[in-house]
Amino acid sequence: MYNEYQITYTAQNTYEHWVDKAYWQFMVIPWEDNSQKNVQVAFENSMHFPMEFSHNGYGFRTLRCHSVDPFKEITFKAKFSFLKMEDNPFSFVPNASISWEYEQLAQLTHKVDFDQFLKRTNLTHLPSPAASLFTFDGEQSIFDNLLALNGWIFDQIYYTPGATDVHTTLKEVLDMRKGVCQDFTHLFCAIAKDHGVPARYVSGYLNQDGGFFGDTQMHAWAEAHIPGVGWKGFDPTNNILANANHVKVCHGKDYTDCAPLKGILFGQGENTTTHSVSVHSQQ
Amino acid sequence: MENIESQIFSSYQRNPQLLDELHEKDGSIKKVYQTLFELYGQHSIQDYVNLNNKAKASFFNQGITFQVYGDNTVQEKIFPFDLFPRIIDPQEWEVIEKGSLQRSRALNLFLWDIYHDKRILKEGIVPLDLISTSANYLDQMVGVDPPGGIYNHISGTDVIKHTDGQYYVLEDNIRCPSGVSYVICNRTALKRALFGVFNHYKTFTVTDYAENLLELLESTKPKGVDVPTCVVITPGMFNSAFYEHSYLAKTMGVELVEGRDLFVENDFVYMKTIKGPERVDVIYRRVDDLFLDPLEFKADSSLGVPGLFSAYKKGNVTLANAPGTGVADDKAVYTYMPEIIKYYLKEEPILNNVHTYHCSRPKELEYVLENIRTLVIKPVDEAGGYGISIGNKLTDEQVDAVRKEVRQNPRKYVAQPIMSLSVHPTYIDETQSFEQRHVDLRTFTVLGRDKQFVLKGGLTRVALKKGNLIVNSSQGGGSKDTWVLKI
Repeated sequence: MYNEYQITYTAQNTYEHWVDKAYWQFMVIPWEDNSQKNVQVAFENSMHFPMEFSHNGYGFRTLRCHSVDPFKEITFKAKFSFLKMEDNPFSFVPNASISWEYEQLAQLTHKVDFDQFLKRTNLTHLPSPAASLFTFDGEQSIFDNLLALNGWIFDQIYYTPGATDVHTTLKEVLDMRKGVCQDFTHLFCAIAKDHGVPARYVSGYLNQDGGFFGDTQMHAWAEAHIPGVGWKGFDPTNNILANANHVKVCHGKDYTDCAPLKGILFGQGENTTTHSVSVHSQQ
Repeated sequence: MENIESQIFSSYQRNPQLLDELHEKDGSIKKVYQTLFELYGQHSIQDYVNLNNKAKASFFNQGITFQVYGDNTVQEKIFPFDLFPRIIDPQEWEVIEKGSLQRSRALNLFLWDIYHDKRILKEGIVPLDLISTSANYLDQMVGVDPPGGIYNHISGTDVIKHTDGQYYVLEDNIRCPSGVSYVICNRTALKRALFGVFNHYKTFTVTDYAENLLELLESTKPKGVDVPTCVVITPGMFNSAFYEHSYLAKTMGVELVEGRDLFVENDFVYMKTIKGPERVDVIYRRVDDLFLDPLEFKADSSLGVPGLFSAYKKGNVTLANAPGTGVADDKAVYTYMPEIIKYYLKEEPILNNVHTYHCSRPKELEYVLENIRTLVIKPVDEAGGYGISIGNKLTDEQVDAVRKEVRQNPRKYVAQPIMSLSVHPTYIDETQSFEQRHVDLRTFTVLGRDKQFVLKGGLTRVALKKGNLIVNSSQGGGSKDTWVLKI
């Protein structure tokens, strides 16, 4: 069963002074796979600067734009429509043996294959060992432990828009016990990785019709890899599994790999960007 | 003859503990040097002073300089040049050339592997930690097939001759190794100053470097390109190696560009010219990885080209050397070079690695603690020479302190035998005479699609301070013309 989705993404940029030259790269196009298909993209900007499609270093689709004339403000607007599969994230066949799962994590080939999503980054660096925060129960499956971790983070951190920014470290988040979706996600990834479970940051959109946290910008959640099962999505901000309301754009080690907008300006002065996102589905 | 010798070599003092490249063990002049020794001996000290000044002026007039950054000033300096050339005889050169090439090929295969199947890591031959903690490993390069299968198009291999008469590699430089322009300019300067000496020796030319470099770079052109357009990209005129960038562009006959001269459209790279955009296919880049593309790496880099990396990933442009190559010239990877060579090439290493003891291994730790006086102790994670202890220069208290520190943090340290670089007679301004100075050699190897080239010569660097083992130009090093003789 597929639902039809429409997403509108708007980024409004205003600059203190005239800007001579600028480049922008957007990573906001829904990822295409079996669960998200027939992605249609319409993109425009208020200055009518030329735009083109490309891919970033990890193979995710990007939209690029560069200025032709000097400007002081510019608005980008993207419309996406696609089909999203209605599936139940709990409907997978669990591994028969729990100890087998942990044995896999300990294998060198597993560590090599998943190194990218096991190594620490600045944003997924824990101030103290994960065990002092959250311990895995070896009697339980990896999936059940991750589910418990999801709930633990949801209880520990209070969703507080504006409390943090994209450079906030986990030490600060744990001290404040406040954050937004990327902080919840970084914490989830850090603890999972410290227990040997590959985890990655996912950037995307959340359909808020269900009354979830996720603000009106883009959303973030985590994917963790379970041997024999594959990648599963966890949304610690809402203490749920990623489901049909989660529209994936890209994944990476942390926010840095997934920034929705990168801009390079040749000019002076301050600039402000306001993003807005609206997600609608028709069942 | 005695009389002539007394002119400039009379005061030359030989320390018997050092390996002097001019002399045999019994004190006689080596056969390859005899003619040269006689020719130089015909000059008076004053002749030599004049020639030396002439050579210096030649460098300055050619603009072959580098910048030394002071507190508030930038000084334009020439790389001190010594008029007495170093000769490498054909048998020894064959070992150096084959060994340099072997290392470059092995490193190229190693890079392919760690960005594809990672077999060497899965088999535990090179520890995963080494790669996963390396700041130079680029995740973006995983699965990328560089055009022609080449990562390290240009390698600079630093080789020394130890007192045992054997050659050892100290370092493999495969990011943007520099120095090749000095090799060529040293030859030119020596020919201008002392043309006659070349009549007595059959020396391989070094001026064919640029044409070989261009040919091999072009051989790694992207698919579907017939006649590639090649450029050299430089960080700009304030870079300390700018002279070399412009020299190589000029001698290859290609454009020298900065980031702002290029742009990317639909994942192809173009150069802005007065005739309109021209497609660029091969870029010899002298800009570091993280500055190549502000959209992919450091966003505040104004040296790069926005979108360049995506053009590279699509296979539409060649970057030489490939991004992410630096992971293989880490200090820690160096210690695994013998294993890397055997693993990929099924060959024994031709050039020696300086043996490295890993203190993390209990047996090796024991050896290190017992033989500390004969070893150099290095922290694995520090760069720039920090935290290094040289065993024979330590006081008893220091030895105890180092022992304690190593025992407490064995994983943090490696140890190597103290290497003694060979010495070569070098003219010293202050004493107006020849003295022994330590030398090393950087060779230049170029890999192309099914082709390769090693420059017959290389950069001999001289540590001009007496007793100093550090030959870097920033540390007051100089250089010599280096002759590889035809048989």
